[in-house]
Amino acid sequence: MDKLSLYGETFASRLLIGSALYPSPAIMLEAVRASGAEIITLSLRRQNPAHQDGKVIWDYIRSSGCKLLPNTAGCKSAKEAVTLAEMSREIFQTDWLKLEVIGDDYSLQPDPYGLVDAAKELSKRGFKVLPYCTEDLVLCRRLLDAGCEALMPWGAPIGTGQGLLNKYNLRMLRERLPDTPMIIDAGLGAPSHAAEAMEMGFDAVLLNTAVAKAHDPVAMGGAFKMAVEAGRAGYNAGLMLARQTASPSTPTIGMPFWRRQSQ
Amino acid sequence: MKSKLRIGIAGGGLLGRLCAWRLALMNHEVTLFDAGDFERPGGACWTAAGMISPLSELVSAEPEVYHMGMRSLDIWPRWIAELERQTGMSASYRQAGSVVVAHPLDKAELAQFQRDLNAKLPADEALQWLDREGVARLEPGLADHFEQGLYLPSEADVNSRLLLNALLAALRQGGVRLISNTLVECSAHRMHWSSGSERFDWVIDVRGLGASRNMTGLRGVRGEVMIIETSEVRLNRPVRLMHPRYKLYAVPRLNGQIIIGATEIESADMSPISLQSTLELSSALYALNPAFAEARVVETSVNCRPALPDNLPRVKREPGLICANGLYRHGYLLGPVVVGQVLDQFHSEKQYAA
Repeated sequence: MDKLSLYGETFASRLLIGSALYPSPAIMLEAVRASGAEIITLSLRRQNPAHQDGKVIWDYIRSSGCKLLPNTAGCKSAKEAVTLAEMSREIFQTDWLKLEVIGDDYSLQPDPYGLVDAAKELSKRGFKVLPYCTEDLVLCRRLLDAGCEALMPWGAPIGTGQGLLNKYNLRMLRERLPDTPMIIDAGLGAPSHAAEAMEMGFDAVLLNTAVAKAHDPVAMGGAFKMAVEAGRAGYNAGLMLARQTASPSTPTIGMPFWRRQSQ
Repeated sequence: MKSKLRIGIAGGGLLGRLCAWRLALMNHEVTLFDAGDFERPGGACWTAAGMISPLSELVSAEPEVYHMGMRSLDIWPRWIAELERQTGMSASYRQAGSVVVAHPLDKAELAQFQRDLNAKLPADEALQWLDREGVARLEPGLADHFEQGLYLPSEADVNSRLLLNALLAALRQGGVRLISNTLVECSAHRMHWSSGSERFDWVIDVRGLGASRNMTGLRGVRGEVMIIETSEVRLNRPVRLMHPRYKLYAVPRLNGQIIIGATEIESADMSPISLQSTLELSSALYALNPAFAEARVVETSVNCRPALPDNLPRVKREPGLICANGLYRHGYLLGPVVVGQVLDQFHSEKQYAA
């Protein structure tokens, strides 16, 4: 079967979903259900994790039945990220981690240097690290060297809904790292963006804002589910290459020669 | 008349005070319990900015919040006029609309706000685009910095602390028995505390987060605000600033004070404001007008809003016990309507008795 495989675990759904920004926790749960996602990210940086003050909402997210993927959103250095990761491992009893180390406050662009440092340390400590990174090939290689077995390159900056901004780089990344599970994380706004990422051969996509901030998050969760499935099916079926001119599918022998030259 | 009832209310926040006040006006015998002090309530009502903004809230809330909020906008002016007449105290109720702005770089946020609002609003609701002159006319303090904005003329706000104080005065005048610093538990017809209990015809439980043990799914959502003081910049009405990461409102109060808020963090954490939130709130305010730089921070305040999984209020009723909770970030917006739902019981009872 065509399943998503990450750190030795397999998943039927190729859509990962975030748990922030929904109108209410109840709508969040419904939207997650509609999306078919089996992995859900959650943040704890600002919730006073040492005192477990976010417990009610964490339990609520847990009740989705999805695998929890705690993130280190809000961390700006490797050290902060490692501390938070240890705390989240203790609270959620999982060594899975979406690693975020932010280098720019406004765009929330990842800090490649901090990311590699943190990934090294966390891998050494036994974490299964999924780093949120830019689509830079060299950075991605360094993250693999650091012990990551999967990558989460961005499509566009978090929350922008711009879609895949640097398709050239993303394509190259896919070609150069054919065996690494890669999840397009951040920046997707429309279901077509998700389908496009899947058609390019990426293994999965991760979304939050596009679903949570839709006028109808539940319906949008369903729309992304279909888009991801369509994109993946299309990729598996083998996309035709786009051509410069439309080629007739029946012989043109019967057509007068002067017509053949027209255009 | 047979209709005089003994009513015990748990929770001296906004809902508890409004219920006690209305019920006392209906000549019932009312006792109001609070876990803390009536002079300085511990609940979110004391921290809140007191905005009554059904339109702005609609962007991230269910249509029900909007409809209830619009009904509140009808009730508040009447109730406040009544309260001010009764007590001679002002609650600084102001129906001057609100203004929503975004910096040119964050224009998309304003467009998104308008789109979200239009998608959910009834067609006849007024929403006005402002150009630079429009912003300057309504809010001269923002004139140099914003080229466009939105004006939501029907929105209002009330000075939460003045209102709570006036309500307290009205309760004292109305002969409501006030029992402070007493943690209670509620059951049908009975209020319990560590050393005793008392029977009532009706018990009303409006403890907010104090009722966590009795209401499954109730959670706290942390909010942080700052109160600043300046004579350099004046605002005439609540202003919201759209930003990709954090939304700020600034609500002018008396004496050059402005309350700015509010963060929204999914956590029951009541510890003091974080440095991160201080930076976010103050830099957003600074972005409204750099002249805010020399404003003085006179207070920071933190509280948790009681919320249910659907972020909507709930009124639960059984013989002898009414519970109202889950007003989330909409205490002042929905308060009168939720209190109305609680009071319905006593209107019908009164009719029944008469």
